[in-house]
Order: sequence, then structure tokens, then C-alpha cells
Amino acid sequence: MVTDEELVTRFRGYQLDHDNREHYRARLDHVLLVNRCAACGTWHHPPRPICPACWSTDVVPTPVTGRGTVFMAIFLYQGPAPPGVDYATPYPVITVELDEQVGLRFTATAIGASNDQLQIGERVELDWLERDGVPVPAFRLSDRAGA
Amino acid sequence: MISERNPLKDKIAFANAATTGFVPHNTDRSATSFAVEACVKVMRDTGLGPRDIDGICGPSTPSAQVLQHALGIPEITWFANPPVPFGNQVAAAMGAISAGLCDVVLAYHALHRSAFFTASALRDPFRRPPGGGGSGPGPDTIAMAVGYTAWASRYIHEYGAKREDFGRVAVSDRSNAADNPAAAMREPITMDDYLQARMIREPLCLLDMDVPVDGGDAFIITTAERAQDMPYEPVLIHAATLGQIDKSMEDQTPSLLRNGQHVVIEALRSRSDFWIDDVDVYFPYDGFTIITLNWIENAGWCGRGEGGAFLGDHWDSEGNRVLIKGRVPMNPHGGALSEGGTQGSGHIREAIHQLQHRAGARQVADPKTAMVTAGGFFFNSQGLMLRTA
Repeated sequence: MVTDEELVTRFRGYQLDHDNREHYRARLDHVLLVNRCAACGTWHHPPRPICPACWSTDVVPTPVTGRGTVFMAIFLYQGPAPPGVDYATPYPVITVELDEQVGLRFTATAIGASNDQLQIGERVELDWLERDGVPVPAFRLSDRAGA
Repeated sequence: MISERNPLKDKIAFANAATTGFVPHNTDRSATSFAVEACVKVMRDTGLGPRDIDGICGPSTPSAQVLQHALGIPEITWFANPPVPFGNQVAAAMGAISAGLCDVVLAYHALHRSAFFTASALRDPFRRPPGGGGSGPGPDTIAMAVGYTAWASRYIHEYGAKREDFGRVAVSDRSNAADNPAAAMREPITMDDYLQARMIREPLCLLDMDVPVDGGDAFIITTAERAQDMPYEPVLIHAATLGQIDKSMEDQTPSLLRNGQHVVIEALRSRSDFWIDDVDVYFPYDGFTIITLNWIENAGWCGRGEGGAFLGDHWDSEGNRVLIKGRVPMNPHGGALSEGGTQGSGHIREAIHQLQHRAGARQVADPKTAMVTAGGFFFNSQGLMLRTA
């Protein structure tokens, strides 16, 4: 397992802490973990040390399917320019409502689609890209609409 | 839980407010220099010296410690540096004064163009953030300011809003700023100018976003009783609130029907003896045009999704600006979009000057009440109902 020291070194520039480290550690294996309460089953994001619904401290970073529906979609014409981002085409950032729970959302970029295909309501699934030596979550349009 | 209790009703007052004015470019000055300029101006204008101040409140730059040192204020018994928007400073001062921690608060807000607001700030080496390395999350987030663009996309999706609906906020603000010597952007714009403006974060363009400025505002806040002995008519804080819900993160905020703005409106409405029909001048926050449309709708000036149409229906063709019911101006100082991005201090300062009949060419005819709904949707919604005695 990647140690905390290695984790912080690899995710330079990210705000890592005791509550989100497992989420980031799993990204290295292309797994998206979201906190779920082992007591009441409620999901929440970003990671908190307690379940906001029932106050159980038994929150478990749990893999999600990565499937969901586009809830918000924007296209950046300028901004931070990490390797691979040049804004020659406006850069999509989408907030996806995950299938696991109403209101549980995850924000990432989108790949493999033109910007005018990235409409609110479209079905998407999780994929990954590489940036600065770490995997970055990204969504692709699902093959079957409404799947 | 939203309490209807309002023991501070009309008990705390703004005695005065002052501004340095704002410019939309880098000056060769520090944030502290703007804060102290505004503070000296408001203290001199109120006839107060360093020994008359016993409380200090502003955001973190400069800190209360630095400001107190720069102004040579010999001793204070209370200070705080909460984050903006500026309703946080007002609420903190109200609590401190009413609790007896201090009597006369000097509240300040310095604006300094930073890389957070504009990349061009980086031309000044003293504005560059300390090195770190790594890309971090880069642009793959809607945290902070980007969140408003994301919710604008949702607003358009849910209500079929047009760009013109947003544009009316920008055009009206700019028309108002023409009459404000303190404003950074005073050249009028047309709807065509708005529609042709450079896209920054689609669906929002340059003119949907407040203008980064250098400058400062300062305020004297004290008891209504003490303010009576000062040179200007006290502006009474009739009701005040901050509003935040549990899921206030930009992408987890439940909906356009459930966010901090709704808490603010419910609290203000239950604590205030007057409401929108009795408001003489209205200050819906406009750091982004989408915020303004939502405040107008959530406060009940019109129905959900009708904000843009409402502005069109209440358009003053002669002034090329919004005049609600032909009477109530909206952000007469030009707002964050045209006076400058002050995170609410400009809106509150203008409300005070309007109610004190000191707003120059922008003066509303004999206003008695003002409503300020400051901040956005997330961790920063807040409101003030203001009146004169």
C-alpha cells in the first residue's frame, strides 16, 4: 500500500487530510471511493469523519459504480493550465449525480465527447486520465442513453 | 432551526461609512494602505480619534492587529477577522457591541487584486502566491467562484433562461455606476455589448462576473444611542442574518430551491417588521449575475425562474436600468459588477449613504428603508434590513 508520505508526495498541490486520504489513495488504483455509513447506509461527499445523517463514526470509503447523470455542465475558456489542458477547446467540467443516492454528486472533467454532446441529463460513466503522474477521474458519455 | 427572536432590532447602528473608491487595475499599493485610507476617512468624517475606537473587525488582510498598529489605536477590547462577505463583519460587530465587549467598532474591507480573481495580478511580484508545485485538482472542480457558473447552467436548464435575462443585471449595474465617482467601471454598456462579451466560463461571460479592484471601505458601527451623538443620521440595523445549510459545498448544494439564500430570506422575513413592498432601495448581491436573479426570486419580488422577465418588466428605458415599480433602484452604486467586487461592503456602504441622503447624483428620493441580500448560494448568504428612525 502507498504510504501517507508517498501519497502526499504524489498528490502535490491537492489538499489531502486524514479524512480524504483513502479517497486519494484509491485513485492510484483507478477506484473512486465515496464515504458510506456502515450503520445507516447513507452516502456523503466530500469525506467527513462522521455520518452527517446518523453521527456514526463507522463511515467506510466505498467504491461507487461511477455511473450517473449530468446535473450541471460548464465549459471553461481559461483557467489553471496543468499538463494536457490548454483551453484550445473550452474545457468541460461536469457535476454528476451518482446513481448511488439522490443528491450525491461528483465533479470532474469529461472525455471522449464534444462539448455540445455534454448536456444536462445525459448518462455518464467513470473513466480515468493521467496528469502529473496521478490518475484523475473523468466521465464519458454512456453507450446507451438512459442505461 | 430559524429563530424569530430579534432582540437587537434597531439597537445597533451604522454611524458612518466611507470608501477610497475603486480602480480596475493593479495599483502600486498594499491592501493595508487602502484599509487605513478608508478608516482614516471614516474616522475623521465622524469626528473620531484613535482613542474612540474599542473594537476592530475586517477580513484577514490586513489583520485587526496590523490595522490597529497602522492607525495607532492605543487599546481595544474586541476584534475579529471573519471571512467575507461583509455581512459577517457586520454580524460579528453587532454581537460584540450588544454583549458589551466593545462600544464603537471600526469595520473595514480592503480589496486587492489577487491571482485568485485575475491572472493579471501576477504581473506584480508581490501578489504571487508562495511556490508549491504540482497541478493539484487543476480546473476539474466547481469549488469557489466556478460554482456560480455551474448553477447558472442548472438555472438555464430548469427555467429555459436566456442570456438576456442575465445581461439585464449587468447593463443596469453599469448604467448606475455612471453616477458613482467611486466606481471602477463607468462607461455604459448595451445588451449587444453584453452578448458579444468574451466567454469566460460558459454559460457566463466577462460581464457576468464582478470586476477585480483595488480599494477599500470602512464603517463605524455602534449602539443606536451612541450613533445619535455622531454627525450623521444613524442607520439602524433592523434585522440581520447569515444563512447556511448543511450541504453548502458547491456541487452538493441540493438545488436552486434549497440553499443559503432561502435561510436568509426566511430569517429576515420573520425578524423584520417591514418587507419588500416597503423597501425603498434594494441591494441584491451581484458578484455573478446568476446570484442576483436568484436573490430577486427568492426574496419574492417575482416567481421562480422569472427573475430575468421581472427585470425586463421593471426596466426604466430612460435610465437604461432596473427601477422596480418605477421607484426602487437595484444596486444604485453599480454593484459588484461595475463599482467593483467588494464582497458586499460596497452594497452596505451605499445603503448607508442612501439612507443618510448622501448618495450624490444617485440619491433615491427620501428613502427610509433598504434591503441588502449579500453573498451567494453556498457558505456566504446573508441579509440586512436597514432603516432610519
